[in-house]
Amino acid sequence: MAAIEVRELTKTYGEVVGIESLSFSVGKGEVFGFLGPNGAGKTTTIRVLLGLLSPTAGSAEVLGADVTSESDLIEAKRRIGYLPADLGFDEDVTGRRVLDYFASIRGDERRAELLEIFTPPLDREIREYSSGNRQMLGVIQAFMHDPDLVIMDEPTSGLDPLKQERFNEFVRAERDRGTTVFFSSHVLSEVRRVCDRVGILREGELVAAEDVESLVDRGGKRVRVQVGGEGSGLGDVEGATDVRRLGDEHRFAYAGDYGTLLAHLASYDVVDVEIAEPPLEDVFMHYYGGSEDSDGEGNESDAGEESGRAPEPASEPAGGDADA
Amino acid sequence: MLEIVRYEAEKRLTGTLALAVGLGALAVFFVAFFPSFADVDMESYAEAFPPAFREAFGIEAIGTIEGFLAVEVYQFLWVLLLGLYVAYLGAGAIATDVERDRMDLLLSLPVSRSRVLGEKFLALAVPILVLNAVVPLAVYGGVIAVGESIDAVDLAMVHLLSIPYLLACAAIGLLLSTLVDRADVAQRAALAAVFALFLVDSISASAENLEWIGGISPTAYYDPSAILVDGSHDLGGAVVLLGATTALVVLASIRFRRADVGA
Repeated sequence: MAAIEVRELTKTYGEVVGIESLSFSVGKGEVFGFLGPNGAGKTTTIRVLLGLLSPTAGSAEVLGADVTSESDLIEAKRRIGYLPADLGFDEDVTGRRVLDYFASIRGDERRAELLEIFTPPLDREIREYSSGNRQMLGVIQAFMHDPDLVIMDEPTSGLDPLKQERFNEFVRAERDRGTTVFFSSHVLSEVRRVCDRVGILREGELVAAEDVESLVDRGGKRVRVQVGGEGSGLGDVEGATDVRRLGDEHRFAYAGDYGTLLAHLASYDVVDVEIAEPPLEDVFMHYYGGSEDSDGEGNESDAGEESGRAPEPASEPAGGDADA
Repeated sequence: MLEIVRYEAEKRLTGTLALAVGLGALAVFFVAFFPSFADVDMESYAEAFPPAFREAFGIEAIGTIEGFLAVEVYQFLWVLLLGLYVAYLGAGAIATDVERDRMDLLLSLPVSRSRVLGEKFLALAVPILVLNAVVPLAVYGGVIAVGESIDAVDLAMVHLLSIPYLLACAAIGLLLSTLVDRADVAQRAALAAVFALFLVDSISASAENLEWIGGISPTAYYDPSAILVDGSHDLGGAVVLLGATTALVVLASIRFRRADVGA
């Protein structure tokens, strides 16, 4: 039995389509990254999985429970943790009170252990919390009853890089102890670091659900070479695509094997070379119909066209007359 | 069970106690005024009010301590202000949590929606019970202090029978809380609804052939003047109010179970 099973799921709000005919499944013990830009339907999907929204068509199961059956879903929720994107806590109670409250309904056998990793100021009122502290409190409540499945909506928003790394490490450890983790994100690098498999949601439809490595492989390596001389024909090697030149630097995507590439480069006077995995942003753009110019970094060359031309002001600035 | 009631009631406790002290003090303050009314010709004072107003506040018997309390403390503070207050609280019970995204987390716990709604409603009973336990003591003390006396049973009944009335007002708010997405709209609608019902009852009472319309208002089933002045306890009215409360909570529950939360 899959931890999450979604079949032909559609959710519309009147005329507006949230998600359409979405199907995917998440296996037990898997970390599944649910990718897509804001507005793609990630949160809608998650809210259907939790029974907050009822599906317009299709079906969804979490831990074997049909999300439209309240009683089945309640049983399943004993073993589910949820970290929403917008964490709503009562502002005028302490973090400890919230945890006690949730614990009284759902249990908290792992609270102490989690509080060693995440350290929100439990005895302060939540109104005084920073967004990072709120998020940590959210993570603790989502995991403290030792759930089998944790659903997280944009979990690392609000965490500083150090806490983010700690969080990623924590998610990996959770996977190792068998917890299934489903999380949405629009930050691809974060998904890359912790997920076994990702699905990319585009305009309410899941475009791909495959493991991260194969997604990356499909995108090919990113090669940057600087050579002495012109370097003509440098990109003429089988497996190279998207060849371009930026100043002294030649760049291309490469999906062939290393031996062939190195043998080809050996015939040039190589000054500098870098072979890197593609940023997932590029892979991502591929699924969003991103065109050739999806180059995410170092494209200051485009800036030249507009330089020196400030936008026309709508009216004369500070002309001196102050008749107000 | 009842974890939600406990949490919600605990959150309200400070506010409830403050309100109990405030209303108790206000009641005592009103009672302290009573002796100075003794010199006034209360008959003509009562006559001076328009008939609808006399009806709304039961002004006829204002010259006695019972009539005075019924008008100044119970018709005004209890029926009108407290009725509005609990309707306002009820209207916030669901809609505020939905609006502030708190409902998402609450419903991620293994609890049914009807349990959430039912327990949130029960939590509203806490301020209602606390106020009805504290304020009569203040009133009784005040009456003794100004050298008057009042039937303790009638005083207890005026509070006891106000509980179904206030629960009904809270249930009106609760139903609106599940019907309207925005909490502030639900709250304003609840205030408007309870006030309108209060007016309907008072005005229809003085309009010929329209008395029956007043029957839709909860105020028709709880009359502090009748209890304090005439010593008549309308237990049937309390049953009607409890029945209406149950019906409103069930409707709210049906509505909330079907709703998309935070869509």
